[in-house]
Amino acid sequence: MRIVVPVKQVAVVDEDFELVDGGSAVDPDFLEWSLNEWDEFSVEAALQMGDEVIVVTVGEEEATEGLLACLAKGADRALRIWDPALEGADALAVARVLAAAVGRESPDLVLCGVQSSDAVNSATGIGLAAHLDLPHLAVARAISADGDSLTVERELEGGLIEVVRVGLPALLTVQTGINEPRYANLRAIKQAREKPLEVLDLAGLGLSESDVDAARGSRLRKLAVPEAGEGAEMLQGSPAEVATRIREIVAERLSA
Amino acid sequence: MARDPKYDILFEPIQLGPKTLKNRFYQVPHCIGAGSEKPGMQAYHRGIKAEGGWGACCTEYCSIHPESDDTSRVSARIWDEGDVRNLKAMTDRLHHFGALAGIELWYGGPHAPCMESRATPRGPSQIPSDFELNIHPRYMDKDDINEVQQMYVDAAIRARDAGFDIVYVYGAHAYLPFQFLSPFYNRRTDEYGGSFENRARFWKESLEKVREAVGDDCAIASRFAVDHLLGATSIQVDEDGVRFVEHVDHLVDLWDLTVGDIAEWGQNAGPSRFFEENHEKPFTGQVKAGNHTNKPVVGVGRVTNPDTMVAIIQSGQFDIIGAARPSISDPFLPKKIEEGRPDDIRECIGCNQCISRWEIGGPPMVCTQNATAGEEYRRGWPPEKFSKAGNADKGVLVVGAGPAGMECAMVLGKRQMSAVHLVEADSEIGGCVNWISKLGHSDGKENLFRGTARGLGEWSRIVNYRQVQLDKLKNVEVHLNSRLSAQDVLEYGAEIVVIATGCHFATDGLNPATHTPIPGADTSLDWQLTPDEVVAGNKPIGQRVLVLENEAYFMGASIAQKLAGEGKDVTLVTQAADVADYMHYTLEAPMLHRDLHRLGVDIRTYTMVDSIEPGACTLYNVWDDRHKDKVEVDTVVLCTQRLSNDELYRELKSDPAALQREGIEAVYIIGDASAPRMIVDSVFDGHRLAREIDSDNPAMPLPFIRERRLWGDTGNGDFESQLLAPSDMVAAG
Repeated sequence: MRIVVPVKQVAVVDEDFELVDGGSAVDPDFLEWSLNEWDEFSVEAALQMGDEVIVVTVGEEEATEGLLACLAKGADRALRIWDPALEGADALAVARVLAAAVGRESPDLVLCGVQSSDAVNSATGIGLAAHLDLPHLAVARAISADGDSLTVERELEGGLIEVVRVGLPALLTVQTGINEPRYANLRAIKQAREKPLEVLDLAGLGLSESDVDAARGSRLRKLAVPEAGEGAEMLQGSPAEVATRIREIVAERLSA
Repeated sequence: MARDPKYDILFEPIQLGPKTLKNRFYQVPHCIGAGSEKPGMQAYHRGIKAEGGWGACCTEYCSIHPESDDTSRVSARIWDEGDVRNLKAMTDRLHHFGALAGIELWYGGPHAPCMESRATPRGPSQIPSDFELNIHPRYMDKDDINEVQQMYVDAAIRARDAGFDIVYVYGAHAYLPFQFLSPFYNRRTDEYGGSFENRARFWKESLEKVREAVGDDCAIASRFAVDHLLGATSIQVDEDGVRFVEHVDHLVDLWDLTVGDIAEWGQNAGPSRFFEENHEKPFTGQVKAGNHTNKPVVGVGRVTNPDTMVAIIQSGQFDIIGAARPSISDPFLPKKIEEGRPDDIRECIGCNQCISRWEIGGPPMVCTQNATAGEEYRRGWPPEKFSKAGNADKGVLVVGAGPAGMECAMVLGKRQMSAVHLVEADSEIGGCVNWISKLGHSDGKENLFRGTARGLGEWSRIVNYRQVQLDKLKNVEVHLNSRLSAQDVLEYGAEIVVIATGCHFATDGLNPATHTPIPGADTSLDWQLTPDEVVAGNKPIGQRVLVLENEAYFMGASIAQKLAGEGKDVTLVTQAADVADYMHYTLEAPMLHRDLHRLGVDIRTYTMVDSIEPGACTLYNVWDDRHKDKVEVDTVVLCTQRLSNDELYRELKSDPAALQREGIEAVYIIGDASAPRMIVDSVFDGHRLAREIDSDNPAMPLPFIRERRLWGDTGNGDFESQLLAPSDMVAAG
């Protein structure tokens, strides 16, 4: 089975950070990068099921590290797509770009993470399925392969599980905890650098800037930090003293 | 990052007579094993704290005269010009970093056995020491009193000449001034005994004379136990305690308040097992709360949390945060608060290993949390600075994330090794700490003294600190739930392999007393357990339990305490003179014994198990093995000895060709995997290997500077007009 796994190198924001240009972005000095947590699980699922695993990402140079981590764990090839025109691309635009890259591979299965921890849209995977016209199932918590179809358990609200059978090719978005992601030993980490890692721009995928623009669903207006509230007052003393003070505060606020 | 403004109050200066303390962080006097005779260790240990932001650092207790000689325990001494010269190395180093230097002038009376000087200690009454064995003082007449007071004055003048800013007249821990003050020691009928004023006279006159001699140049401090914790037979805080503070308040520039005495000074230097943070507050807190002083007050309480420090100051308990153990565990505690990174504070766990070495008498201080404590000078290890390893391009695999493995991986990470993988078989890092930290509780009921057996929960700070640091190190990966075989290690791709796989308890009763297994001992049976199996709770425990304790530290006694607390009938057997002998050194023994006694544990000392059979153990007296005794039991716990988990290491070492083929250049073994030991020594072992990973032969520790006199040499190898230390110890700027 040939499986393509779109992954994302996500930004991890420091406890304290600053915004640039009045809120267009977080100052990169306060960012660190790591592979999206959900993608650890989709990659593992692919490695367990696939004969050939190809990881794909849309991102700048810092995303190479995440691809190398996937190659070290056992992915066979990697593709990174970047183009200056992708600056500020939203989930749907990224899905359009990924569709061009994934389509080239004619995979039996596409495994995405449920969401990315930085943008939290849960849209890329489903958008990609739409562009590729693939059947899709979101929030998979268990997958078993069975000839040219899959049986998938989906996680629903309230602890419900939905069991669905889907024909291949298909696209799933994978939930954390579905498996125990492996780690790469030092030898595999070194050897990952020898594996194929292709870098393409939009033209390399046969796409134009207007294709991406047409797919875009939103545009970032502003990032902002919510204003802090009044803060907390720590009450100290015996339970009776604390209770008395709480009663006073409630009375004060009610009469205000 | 800037410090949180809520901590600003900790960085306010405080006036101490003629001297200004730059902030409220104060290292109170505490022993380190340096004294005046290891000036390098003394200067660099205190100096590191000054570099780390402490506003003042003091010597340990400093003897004023050969008549107060605590050998074999190591005090500082300021007996002559040679001591002035050696201690000046410390004051210079403190002043270089902008800290004040304090000296705790000490006369021990009968508590000092004078085994080196062979002098006769003097005391207020001829009552032998309740701390030292069979030492009687000479009764002091008025000439004696004048002579000893002159010793304080002469010592104070030498202290000033050595560069000290704060000069103590030390009267805590039941040393001489307190012996005069307390009716427990003072049975005199002259003007130095009887009434409060009379009992206070010696201390008051001594303060007057020292103040007269050096008070214009130095701040005068006094360390005072406000409550002896002996009830009405001695000083109580609400009686003579606050009365004495008021009586001599005009003579001091700083009060350093404690409780208790030297005979049970674990009530002051409280181990975390029994005492919580700031446990002395009910006593020492009364002095300022009752407006009994107009002078700044410093006190201790093993406080590591900056929020507690702020609360102590804002509540009016103390003006200055005193610390001994927290400053050993993290010499950079103030700086970490100042730099807005309190999560980097390496918190004291209250194990009292530091104190144990003083109690043993002679060895340098150690610290479970801070492997560099006491090593600042002789090994040139600064606690927060790590040079890039000469072989930083190598990849390292550390197998096992217990105390040694965690520390080794962390320090290798800080030394910028290209890649460090710490691989652990368990689902969390910490190794033995994860179950040991669950011990030490009994039944939660109030103890005979005060408080309860709190347990060893704070020992998990060993793991917490390292977890935080490992998370921050980009070049270190931690992998859990992964037990590696020799083949896995060979194929791992690391050039350097460190085996830190810990140890296990003997399952057959193999022990240090007989060097043989015990007939009938077999923990594969469901009624015989090793200590870790007791904590794991997977085997049933019968009503009658025998715990065999051959280790001489906390394990056997802690198991007995736990099971007795759960209502079992426990017999605790040891071949030694006392159970858990090492806990006398850590000051845990008195409280432990109170708890074991209260719980009704039947303690059999000088006793060994001859054989074990279902339902019974046969015991014998170690001095007379014909004296046998059969005890009926349902369950036996064997805390006899431990054995290294070194199979992986042996297997790797057995095939050098495979190591070479796979590109493994070195395999090291550390911690309990090398030889079972105390946690403090496992952490050290891991740290040592990482500090020296780029030496010619990292398996062998590099030599350390020995501060000794070289026969026939006018100078010393380690002293050429200034102290020599490795270049990375010298402060930048």
